[in-house]
Amino acid sequence: MDFEVLNFIPDNFINPQKRIFLGYLLSGFLIAFLWLYCFRKYTLINSLKLIFDKKVYFSKSSFVDYSLYVFNSLIMIIFSPILLSQIVIATFIFEFMYAQNIIEPISINYLSIFLPIIFTICFFIVDDFSKFLVHMLMHKIKFFWCFHKIHHSAEVLTPMTVFRTHPIEGVIFVLRNAISQGAVIGIFYFISSGELSLVTVLGANLFSFIFHLLGSNLRHSHISISYGKIVEKFLISPAQHQIHHSVEKKHHDKNFGVTFAIWDYFFNTLVYSQSNQKIKYGLSDKENFSRNNIFKIYLFPIIECCTLIFNSIFKSFKIIYTYSLNLKPHKLNKNNKVIQNENS
Amino acid sequence: MLKINKYSFIKNAAVLSLASLSLSLLSTSSSFSDGHIYGENNPVTVKGYKGSKTDSTAYTGQIARQLQHNSLKKIVSNGNPNDPSSNTLNKMMNYFENKDKTKTMAILDPKSSSKFPVKQKIVGEISTGSNLAGKADKRPQLSWPNNMSGSDVIRFMIKKASKISGGVDTRNGMNYPQLISKYTMGAVLYHQACDNYLDEKMTASNKPNNKPYKKGAAYTGKEHSWDEAFGYWGAAAHTMTLSAKQSYDVAKKKDLKAADFNKDGVVDLYKEMTYGHAYYASAFDKGGKTNYLKTVTKAFIDGRKIITAADGNKLSSSDLTKVQDLAQEICSNWAQVISEAVHKYAGSVYKDLIAVEKALSSGSGMEKAMSKYLKHWGELKGFAMALQSGVENKSDTFNRLNRMMGFGPLMPNLSQVVGIDSSGNYLKDQGSSIGYYKLHMIKIQKLMAKEYALKSRSNDVTGGMASLIETLGTKKSAEND
Ligand SMILES: [Zn+2]
Ligand SMILES: [Zn+2]
Repeated sequence: MDFEVLNFIPDNFINPQKRIFLGYLLSGFLIAFLWLYCFRKYTLINSLKLIFDKKVYFSKSSFVDYSLYVFNSLIMIIFSPILLSQIVIATFIFEFMYAQNIIEPISINYLSIFLPIIFTICFFIVDDFSKFLVHMLMHKIKFFWCFHKIHHSAEVLTPMTVFRTHPIEGVIFVLRNAISQGAVIGIFYFISSGELSLVTVLGANLFSFIFHLLGSNLRHSHISISYGKIVEKFLISPAQHQIHHSVEKKHHDKNFGVTFAIWDYFFNTLVYSQSNQKIKYGLSDKENFSRNNIFKIYLFPIIECCTLIFNSIFKSFKIIYTYSLNLKPHKLNKNNKVIQNENS
Repeated sequence: MLKINKYSFIKNAAVLSLASLSLSLLSTSSSFSDGHIYGENNPVTVKGYKGSKTDSTAYTGQIARQLQHNSLKKIVSNGNPNDPSSNTLNKMMNYFENKDKTKTMAILDPKSSSKFPVKQKIVGEISTGSNLAGKADKRPQLSWPNNMSGSDVIRFMIKKASKISGGVDTRNGMNYPQLISKYTMGAVLYHQACDNYLDEKMTASNKPNNKPYKKGAAYTGKEHSWDEAFGYWGAAAHTMTLSAKQSYDVAKKKDLKAADFNKDGVVDLYKEMTYGHAYYASAFDKGGKTNYLKTVTKAFIDGRKIITAADGNKLSSSDLTKVQDLAQEICSNWAQVISEAVHKYAGSVYKDLIAVEKALSSGSGMEKAMSKYLKHWGELKGFAMALQSGVENKSDTFNRLNRMMGFGPLMPNLSQVVGIDSSGNYLKDQGSSIGYYKLHMIKIQKLMAKEYALKSRSNDVTGGMASLIETLGTKKSAEND
């Protein structure tokens, strides 16, 4: 029996390009500890007890996250070869830029020394905005919400909750990455005539590295770290994303951002965190949704989405049908129509 | 005592296993040579042959031309602007136009060395009746100004080269050693094999198998036509026993062991050397993505087996079809090798243009950048011209290829050769921008990759993006943020 296909399980933990790289998890725990011990004045024991709360990591909700991590990865191994990749978009944009013949690639000048850092910054900003935008759409478009609510059905948040994602949503994210990342790469590859590099640390994008090192994993945790109102205008704090997971109605459809809060600020969806906020995570009761059954988690969104699509098609047919019924007498009456035309 | 016994047991076991190992090695090497060596087991099949020969294999004239091409390439860079007696020109023309009837034409490459001793020193030791000029493509060449014939193009280039020191015209951007070498490979070697021996001479009526190739010859029409094409391919007879890397190193004169198949201590330039096209095929194959060298060489071996098996009779129509299919396979792979080279050097030129732009804006390093650029452009142009010497008439592809690269490289002052006047001087005009010319290089790569279904695609310009995306590490995973 060949278990090579399961290599992704350890790989994700030892690869600094991955969010759950052990180093990032460790830095997250350390930040959580400093937060509790230094700022919230917990005792040493109590801080550790809260961070490593076994009720959290061994909860039913968490086990669903762990299982989805394994099954989703297997599913994505099968699907990823047929999905659009960044290279397709990047190549298209690159050749388009050449063919348009208006903008010339910058002949190497002083700017080019800074090009890798400019590219790295742009890449990160565009990537972050695309994540915000698609996330917002996942909430606002009901066909997408069927899938995204899997993520929101978690009643306990741990760093592994990021994998609590429906594969269809995963496919949407892959397309998002292909388009946003492919476009930035294509444009910069053209500008630099192919002499392009990304600023990396341990093989990871410099800014992703910083973002993850500064505790990105705490976004999905029960440690409510807030940055204070001024910083939270620019950067989404862990506590702000936890608000995004709240069952409370006033918190719904808020804080879509990942790293930068400015997008939420512009779209009027930004909510600042409260010190000492106590948040219940999960879906509101009106979403009747089986949270802890893997089989249903995979299947229900598909059924729900299909039902929605069917209903809307049915509805539109109904509208057309009733419309045409109303029109019929007019259509039959030729004279009437002519008169109408003359009048207009 | 016990100890000694134990040791002797181990020793015995070691000897035994060594013996069996060498035995198995021997058996594999013999099974390798069985039917894997070109020209092996080819008895004389011509009916009524009166001579004393027992082997019908012969491609000496083709190897002589490989050596003339190699030698010519060596001296094209010896051009001399102050040479009233045209000594340099005559030397170059000697290798292009003359047959070595007097056995005086020295082989300039490969030259014997202690690291790589070769058996023959004179072209005439292999063949006294061959030259390059007589076999060059006679059709008008659209890839060069004024519709010159293939041999006229080479003559024109040799004349130009003989008057320029180093063989590189930096004013017009012509690197003659590269242009002449690559184009000769196409206009003579590839052209003869794929537009003549594997094409016209593989039809039923032409050079039939029930007649000697010419009166009194030890080989039939089909046998010899096939052999000649193999000689133009340039692979060592024992290529199937070598890796692509070994075949490549043989051409580079770096692997005596791999070259010296019959273990006589010297490299037989007739049978044991890699030349020209087979060398380029090896170069691409050693990258691991392609298998041109073995595919073509095996098709040559298989085809010869079918012809030999006909035993001096006319080929049956099914055998003829098989042979024609193999010829088709050979020439399509061969065209792929040449277009891979076009692809590769278009990528090199693209990179060189970036270096030229850098030198333009910084005001330093221009000489070095230009020298690389012109060398790669010469290879690009030479191979692009070579590609058009085959039988395939892809006029649309060829027109686009010629239009995009032009008759000369785009120079830093944006001038470009557009023609040749009646006294043989280059005519120049203002070309496009460097950015636009770079785009042409990308388009040439795309064109080659598409038209010839390339797999190796070295120096792929847009390929850099793929590796950049690799460094992003965004694998396709289902992950919320
Ligand atoms: Zn959400
Ligand atoms: Zn979340």
